[in-house]
Amino acid sequence: MDRRKLLKGMASTAALPAISRFPSPALAQGGDARTLRFVPQTNLANFDPIWGTQYVVRNAAALVWDTLYGVDENLAPQRQMVESETVSEDGLTWTFTLRPGLKFHDGEPVLAKDAAASMARWSARDPMGIMLKGIQEELVAIDDRSFKWVLKRPFPKMLFALAKNNAPCSFVMPERIAKTDPFKQITEYIGSGPMRFMKDEWVPGARAVFAKNTDYVPRNEPASWLAGGKRILVDRIEWIVMPDPATASAALQNGEVDWWENPISDLVPLLRKNASIKVDIADPLGNIGSFRMNHLFPPFNNVKARRAILMALSQEDYMRSLVGSDDKLWRPIPGYFTPGTPLYNEEGGEILKGKRDLDGAKRLLAEAGYKGEPITCIVAQDQPITKAQGDVTADLLKQLGMNVDFIATDWGTTGTRRAMKNPPGQGGWSMFHTWHAGADCINPAAYTAIRCNGDNAWFGWPNSPEVESDITAWFDAKSLDEEKAAMRKLNKDALDFVVYAPTGFFLTYQAWRKNVDGVVKGPLPFAWNVSKTA
Amino acid sequence: MSAASDIATAPLPQAPVAGAPELPDVIAPVKPHGRGMSFCLRHPTIVIGGGILAVMILIGVFAPYLGTVDPTALAPSKRTREPSALFWFGSDMLGRDIYSRVLFGTRVSLLVGFSVALLASVIGLAIGLVAGFLRAADGVVMRIMDGLMSIPPILLAIALMALTRGSIGNVITAITIAEVPRVSRLVRGVVLSLREQPFIDGAVAAGTRVPMIILRHVVPNTLAPLTVQATYICASAMITEAILSFLGVGTPPIIPSWGNIMAEGRALWQVKFYIVLFPAIFLSLTVLAVNLLGDGLRDALDPRLAKKL
Amino acid sequence: MGFYVLRRILSTIPVMAVVALFVFSLLYIAPGDPAAIIAGDQATPADIERIRQSLGLERPFLVQFGDWAWRILHGDLGTSIFTNLPVTNLIAQRIEPTLSLMLVTLILSIGVAVPLGVAAAWKAGSLVDRLVMAFAVFGFSVPVFVIAYLLAYVFALELDWLPVQGYTPIGRGFWPWLQNLILPAIALGAVYVALIARMTRATMLEVLQQDYIKTARAKGIGQSGILFVHALKNAAVPIVTVIGLGIAALIGGAVVTESVFVIPGLGRLTVDSILRRDYPVIQGLVLLFSFAYVLVNLLIDLLYTLLDPRIRY
Repeated sequence: MDRRKLLKGMASTAALPAISRFPSPALAQGGDARTLRFVPQTNLANFDPIWGTQYVVRNAAALVWDTLYGVDENLAPQRQMVESETVSEDGLTWTFTLRPGLKFHDGEPVLAKDAAASMARWSARDPMGIMLKGIQEELVAIDDRSFKWVLKRPFPKMLFALAKNNAPCSFVMPERIAKTDPFKQITEYIGSGPMRFMKDEWVPGARAVFAKNTDYVPRNEPASWLAGGKRILVDRIEWIVMPDPATASAALQNGEVDWWENPISDLVPLLRKNASIKVDIADPLGNIGSFRMNHLFPPFNNVKARRAILMALSQEDYMRSLVGSDDKLWRPIPGYFTPGTPLYNEEGGEILKGKRDLDGAKRLLAEAGYKGEPITCIVAQDQPITKAQGDVTADLLKQLGMNVDFIATDWGTTGTRRAMKNPPGQGGWSMFHTWHAGADCINPAAYTAIRCNGDNAWFGWPNSPEVESDITAWFDAKSLDEEKAAMRKLNKDALDFVVYAPTGFFLTYQAWRKNVDGVVKGPLPFAWNVSKTA
Repeated sequence: MSAASDIATAPLPQAPVAGAPELPDVIAPVKPHGRGMSFCLRHPTIVIGGGILAVMILIGVFAPYLGTVDPTALAPSKRTREPSALFWFGSDMLGRDIYSRVLFGTRVSLLVGFSVALLASVIGLAIGLVAGFLRAADGVVMRIMDGLMSIPPILLAIALMALTRGSIGNVITAITIAEVPRVSRLVRGVVLSLREQPFIDGAVAAGTRVPMIILRHVVPNTLAPLTVQATYICASAMITEAILSFLGVGTPPIIPSWGNIMAEGRALWQVKFYIVLFPAIFLSLTVLAVNLLGDGLRDALDPRLAKKL
Repeated sequence: MGFYVLRRILSTIPVMAVVALFVFSLLYIAPGDPAAIIAGDQATPADIERIRQSLGLERPFLVQFGDWAWRILHGDLGTSIFTNLPVTNLIAQRIEPTLSLMLVTLILSIGVAVPLGVAAAWKAGSLVDRLVMAFAVFGFSVPVFVIAYLLAYVFALELDWLPVQGYTPIGRGFWPWLQNLILPAIALGAVYVALIARMTRATMLEVLQQDYIKTARAKGIGQSGILFVHALKNAAVPIVTVIGLGIAALIGGAVVTESVFVIPGLGRLTVDSILRRDYPVIQGLVLLFSFAYVLVNLLIDLLYTLLDPRIRY
């Protein structure tokens, strides 16, 4: 007899008979089969998917705004709002024609000028969009249903750029909203997506509500990630923000919520024991953990010191601390790209494989001229992923005989601090942790963290012409084989140069109650085709 | 919470005449009580509270010799083990030994508790004396104190912690700033009520200089309520430290403190309750001991107030 | 009386000005940068700089403070940096859960604590007294989140009597509203119960020794009559004072309780805003809290005149 039954038994027989008459909350709250209650990974704090690029904003936006193209589960771009496109012989002029009958939530038709204005705003903020904008000749509507994008040189990755699921996605908004300065937030949340955003019910930090858009016309193809027919099978989706995983777990077990985006793995055995809960991998593309070093200052301005870290770090330690005891959730990666995707390779990955060589690492550090200067580690404590990695790093650096200056802070402060180019002792930093969604790391297209263009590179400012030329080679590749060759060289050069130290590849779980049907694995929680019974 | 415990001791404000609580007039000099057994019998709370506290201090001091290992040593392959012969209190998410972490955590809680109690008392005493004696300063100083007091102490401490990098020193500073206004109010109250006393007038008439009056008459009279207040501040500071760490804005997480251990175990409390349980027991027990000691001291040092509470 | 109230209200203005300036300057020198948080993980330094400029964060301190203070005087608390919603809206959305939690906590605490304190005083020195006092010390000593998790474990998870989390607006019915608040209120109320029980016992002990109580007894008034009509009425002033002073503690405790029980109240909004450095929201909230504190204490001072006719202003 388990404790739960025992306690219940005790309660019903003698103890507190008055209280045992309380109606069961599960019954009191769970009856509504038309409302899907979803616990997102974090709070939806703002809702402009171009201006803010957090994953949570993108996930909510995918309900409200539709995209021109969407990637399917094979990461292939498929038409979504677009009916057809043509590209000129020279590859410079793209013409897109929208599906007929598309409508915004305010009842207005979706016109080509809306799409063109939306792409203009998107291309000011998105890494691939910025490349497009750099070679753009003209982006204009031709008539109500078609617009053209004229380029100065060919951009073979056009459809992938418009379909990709990395934030920011190329969401289409009405022209008047899309005209907002891309660095200012929009205030109207009107899209043409399968759900409407209920602005009046939005309590940032607590909940966000979406109602079914009855005017939405889904495509006829079966849904596959961002592609295909997005059929909404409930009336409302309520996002309930729960910062504390223990509470979220309890709420799911009690039927107070239906679907939890990111249960921590230690709680999964508990959820599995519950007969009315299903647990599965959330995103097969997973995430890559990152130990990011500052290439501008000693000791990590010396490639030997960076290699010392790669030689010594145990991805197993990082991954176990991060995902828990479940070995199905992680794997070591001797490289920078997402395992299981077409361009994945382990070229040059020996340094991350096999027994960890602490003594060799210490020697390399000495050769790099490290003499006990403090290593300023910036570790955000409010993100479980950075926190767990930081604890392992503190231990690792201590074992390497390094002098650790551990700065425990929050994610926001990390954001500011890592932008500082000052020396570590003067407001700058030596290393910080982050993670990259596997979906971003399938190729260099949206993979800002792999760039090595010095001052313009991502924080840490690595500078390696070799790596940069490998990236260009991938963009210019005309066949899969060429792409693969470029990627092999890229992985090797990036590891030799140690752009950053990957701490492993990890997956996360999602969990839902069994009366919910249609939950799929994907880089974001796709709510279409998800149904619920009472 | 912090406010709560000191209200318990704060002298009962009778009427809100000037916002200053009326204090026990002049406190009777403390007579040395009987020795040994009779003292214990008369003040059991001092003995129990002091006893537990002494044990905690000993644990903190001798933590390295009590069968502990390095409390920060990781062993991710031995994570979340239930309490056993190897891990007496189990191991946490990173495979660290909770027994060692809890024992070393005693140092943090005691350090924070004692430092805040001492600092808040000294600073509060100084501010209270200035406000009580210098009419000119009173208005400004007490408005600032009122302002600080009207911000809930935990929120004030969180805001202060968000400003600075997490360190034990900053935790102590933040909690001290949140506690000072109450101490200074208490001291100011004592000073104001003493100023009405004939012997102060007498001293002034006799030409005694103000600092001398403060030193000879005022400070001794504040000592008893201040000592009692300090123990409650100590208890509330330990709880506040735990809350700050629990919310992720306290003691740096690489330092094992009870609040940190609980914060880390918080997500797993349904499945690995022991991670939260042991530090919670130690924290509650220590705070209980300090509170008992405070109650006992109040009874012993301040018989008039003791009769009331 | 009217003059007194007016004077008291006017005297709150400098207090709140001090609070405003203090909090504004503290957060201004804070190291975190909202622009960096907004920009997201993939943003470049140039993006962050542009966002910072669009938010007006690059202006000098006094300009930002002056701008803010000027708009406050016009009833505009500004716009949240993160959500782009007016601060007054954010506060309005969150105020009901927090007020509800505090109200239920207060009623529960007083309902439990006063009888406990009276009983302890009446039977001073007995086992009942000792138990009540022991409970009070425990109430002070066990951290609120420990109590909260214990309660949630037993009553929500194991017994399934009450919901683990959340908040239901009172508009959707009294019972759904109340059932979400019972556990948080008990957790938050533990300290309060301890506090009020001790204070009640102490003042009752004193009152019970007064001559008029002896007279009442001599007149043959029953025990309960003496306790609840005569004695408690006279003990009310200090009890009310404690309740007023405890408001700050209640707000502080609500932060923790709201985060454990996922109640979308002001406490959580405050912590979230501080961690995100959402300056306008923090400033609005701190002003609100100090205003609430000042207001409650003003009301309590006025209550004295009703409870104790001897007090006049």
